[in-house]
Amino acid sequence: MPVAFVFSEFGQQVVSGLASGSVYAALALALVIIHRSTGVINFAQGEMAMFATYIAWTLDVNHGFPFWGAFFATLAISFVGGVAIQRAVIAPIQGASVLTIVIVTIGLILVLNGAATWLWTGEVRAFHSPFPTRTVDVGGVAISLQDVGTLAVVVGAVAALWAFFRFTKLGLALRAAAVNPDASRLVGVRVGWMLALGWGLAAMLGAVAGMLTAPTVFLDPQMMQAILIYAFAAAVLGGIDSPIGAIVGGLSLGVGLNLIGTYAEIDVWFVHVNLTAAELRLPIALFVILVVLLVRPAGLFGKPVVKKI
Amino acid sequence: MSRKLALTCAALCAALTAVVPSALARESAEPGITPTSILLGGTAPLSGSASAFSSVARGAEAYFKYVNARGGVNGRKIDYKYLDDAYNPAQTVQATRQLVESDQVFAIFNSVGTEHNQAIREYLNQLKVPQLFPATGSTSFGRDYAKYPWTTAGFQPSYQAEGWIYGKYLARTKARAKVAVIFQNDDYGKDLLAGLKRGIQRSSVKIVAAEPYEVTASDVQSQIAKLKASGADTLMIFATPRFAIQSFVFVNKLGWKPLIVNNIVSSASSIMTIASEGGTSKAVVGALSGVYLKDPTDPKWANDPGIKLYRQVLKTYAPGANWKDVYHGYGMSVAYTMVEVLKAAGKNPTRASVMAQTAKLNIASNPFLLPGILVKTTATDRFAIEQTQLERWEKGKWVAFGALWGYRAG
Amino acid sequence: MGRPTSRTVSLGALFLAGCTVVYVLPAFISSFRAQQFAYVGIYLIALIGLNILTGYTGQISLGHGAFMAIGGYTTGILISDQGLQIAGHTFSNDLKDVWTIPIAAVVAGAAGFLFGLPALRLSGLYLALATFAIAVSAPAVLKKFETFTGGGTGINLFGIKGLTGSISGVHVFGHKLDFYDWLYYLSWTIALVLLAVAWLLLRGRIGRAFRAVRDSETAAASSGVSLATYKTLAFAVSAAYAGVAGALYAIANTYVNPDTFPITLSIFLLVGVVVGGLGTLSGLVVGAVLVQFLPLWSQEVSKSPGAPAVVYGVILIAIMLALPGGVAGLLRRVRPLARRLYTRPR
Repeated sequence: MPVAFVFSEFGQQVVSGLASGSVYAALALALVIIHRSTGVINFAQGEMAMFATYIAWTLDVNHGFPFWGAFFATLAISFVGGVAIQRAVIAPIQGASVLTIVIVTIGLILVLNGAATWLWTGEVRAFHSPFPTRTVDVGGVAISLQDVGTLAVVVGAVAALWAFFRFTKLGLALRAAAVNPDASRLVGVRVGWMLALGWGLAAMLGAVAGMLTAPTVFLDPQMMQAILIYAFAAAVLGGIDSPIGAIVGGLSLGVGLNLIGTYAEIDVWFVHVNLTAAELRLPIALFVILVVLLVRPAGLFGKPVVKKI
Repeated sequence: MSRKLALTCAALCAALTAVVPSALARESAEPGITPTSILLGGTAPLSGSASAFSSVARGAEAYFKYVNARGGVNGRKIDYKYLDDAYNPAQTVQATRQLVESDQVFAIFNSVGTEHNQAIREYLNQLKVPQLFPATGSTSFGRDYAKYPWTTAGFQPSYQAEGWIYGKYLARTKARAKVAVIFQNDDYGKDLLAGLKRGIQRSSVKIVAAEPYEVTASDVQSQIAKLKASGADTLMIFATPRFAIQSFVFVNKLGWKPLIVNNIVSSASSIMTIASEGGTSKAVVGALSGVYLKDPTDPKWANDPGIKLYRQVLKTYAPGANWKDVYHGYGMSVAYTMVEVLKAAGKNPTRASVMAQTAKLNIASNPFLLPGILVKTTATDRFAIEQTQLERWEKGKWVAFGALWGYRAG
Repeated sequence: MGRPTSRTVSLGALFLAGCTVVYVLPAFISSFRAQQFAYVGIYLIALIGLNILTGYTGQISLGHGAFMAIGGYTTGILISDQGLQIAGHTFSNDLKDVWTIPIAAVVAGAAGFLFGLPALRLSGLYLALATFAIAVSAPAVLKKFETFTGGGTGINLFGIKGLTGSISGVHVFGHKLDFYDWLYYLSWTIALVLLAVAWLLLRGRIGRAFRAVRDSETAAASSGVSLATYKTLAFAVSAAYAGVAGALYAIANTYVNPDTFPITLSIFLLVGVVVGGLGTLSGLVVGAVLVQFLPLWSQEVSKSPGAPAVVYGVILIAIMLALPGGVAGLLRRVRPLARRLYTRPR
């Protein structure tokens, strides 16, 4: 039965969609940064984020760090981790075929997931949220403060990153290394370390995504797998080389999925398709990936690639 | 490579092809049993997304080691070998074949998963290998004994029985309840839902909304939102721990206040405590569930001899295992029953005699089950556990209420 | 064609020797091992197909498990007796499993062709992502269409009329074979035949066209090689191979359900083909062995939850760092050394 349009419910879905979308956006941005700087699609981004979240959890629960202390400590640790992974495992095969790199990132997924299970077991754990779980009534729409907080943190992180790229020398060097590694080397930019820096930043973004989503989805080794797919969908939708695209893509995907999940019940030929079935959420996201890749591979904000002979 | 070499090769090949392998003889009578040992085998998801269930195997293993240290059963030590199937039925099939044909186990015991046990059921029954106490509550395992005489029921109230009990409880105490259900989209969730429907038949309780979710989902927020929008005043959570916790959290987030009934699989105190963290307690307080095992994290069993035994056995024989994980308790309770079955089968158990014993269980002494719960099977009722205690979550712990509920199969 | 070159003759002899080893092996190994090697044969078929797609035309697929699922379900549905229905027709166990294998190949091949058409627009990692998306959503989609896939419960094949294999053995050419030995011979016969077919396909014009597409699409197109034709052909052929593997997989497992074709299957197939060695047929057997045995060997190291995955992942990364060309790359480097050892100075 199609659901009647009630503004309060619509508003609720939009707000929670923005919150979940901001998590997708953060992870998608991480994917974009890595792809833009190194040309690699990091299939292990989700597992890296999950592992970082476990580190935050351990610091919080086992070592008594206050939440924000654990948060920033985890960011620092993830940064180092991202740099280390790039230097140790990606840089040696930078010139090798695309496939070799794909297999290596798959290997990373297995190692990180296995290590998390081995260190902390597959048991579900609670993750403290720094935001109160109250809801605030705004014009009939129940807005969760946690959703607002999540959105705010992602916006803050993205703004910080933007400022870094725009206003610092290091940021400029990173952009240069991504756009034209050879010319950058000529002006003295240490391209290898710039790429590692890119991975470190991406790892930090992933950690942010993980720590923001864990309070709601709860912590276990499988936590980021579906979210990674949503992040891929967002990155593809927005354009795999466009940071703005990643953010817009993530937010629209979050809101879009919620709205489709609530209102979309249609008839396709003789088949009554009920897209509101919540278990179709993931396939819908995957379908988005497929359609965008087929119709406009560069995504909404990306520049179509012109192959020069 | 010269032509001569190639020709020699070809000639050799032709000669060797004359050797054709013949059919290999099947092994004889009672494999897996020697005068001093008996070998049980099973599969569990040691890797992958369901690895939390592997504690079921580890708990059983610890208990068998404890029994072996005290001389075993009728002079035999119980060897329990379990293999990883990564929760993939194709792997379950291969691993089970390895256990039956390569390791020559006496019986398959405590294999985890509904589809996984279904995938090997035909094979085990044709080979006449006992499939003992599959770790699943799927109703078909106790119901289809005529078709599968070598398979016993699972060692828990069947999911349909559980759903039925909740339905009957509602019919009795909340006659006009409007029920919303969130359920896992597989046999486990559907079985619970089917039981619930049977339980509310001939009453005014109505199911106004039922939302499935896939195991691969990241969260169930949209399902809960839809269920709230249905106007229901009761919510049944037929979900595994992670999604049950999320359900509680989203109910609270959306400001919904239904009566919540959680299913046994996700009702361990540790899980409920997680769900009530950070001020979510409002949604969790007053929630109902069923229970048949003693929950080691429940303070009321802190001095119970059964739980003390449980903790001691884990500490000695499974060092590093987390005693708060109730699946270890499940493993021990089913291992206890296995030991009783072997004892009853006498000095020279055979596969057939052990199967016969599983059809006439009558054990009241299982230290890991709630007092009063009888492990009983008869020729026509093969469900080993059909009783459940209802409990309510109050002030951070489960409080039992009422008498034990019983369920008659059929 | 002219006189066969000495290289062809030596390859032929090698092939014959390989066939002999394969046919004679079961006499020396246990029935249970034969079953394991049967799975190696099944994976080999899928890897040959994936190799044609990825090694020869450079199109990456992280979704070949989905094509295996199509083949497996085709066989499962056709021989099932559970009352599955499509468009009003109820399946009641009419066919013998072996005859469904070519049907599975055709159905999967058609699916591969249909996917290959839109895939023309995708390249490299985008194609990997798209195929990954398909493989991840396949189980959910299979569960959705319960009436003809049996949903989450799946399709049980053990003991039904359509299944040739059973615990009482199989009668073939006057001999009585154990189920596992029969399975072994079935998969390896098909594997060897399909290996020969692939070799024939790839040594001629089609193979050259494939390699041209891989090396440079623009160059290939400008020399008259129709990209659309050859890329979709590669997809169709590789999907057909995966379909055959899937059909055999269903017969071997005697059970079909969405969780028997998880995303990890697709990933491990790609791992097998890359580690075995892309672009050549020789390292694929190594790849197939790895797909079957590496998870088991990882468990030998440690059974604690999570540890086998760490071992597997570390091995993968180590192999890729040390041998970017896969095992076949290593073999290729070894061959000139071996030749130098062989030739005697005059």
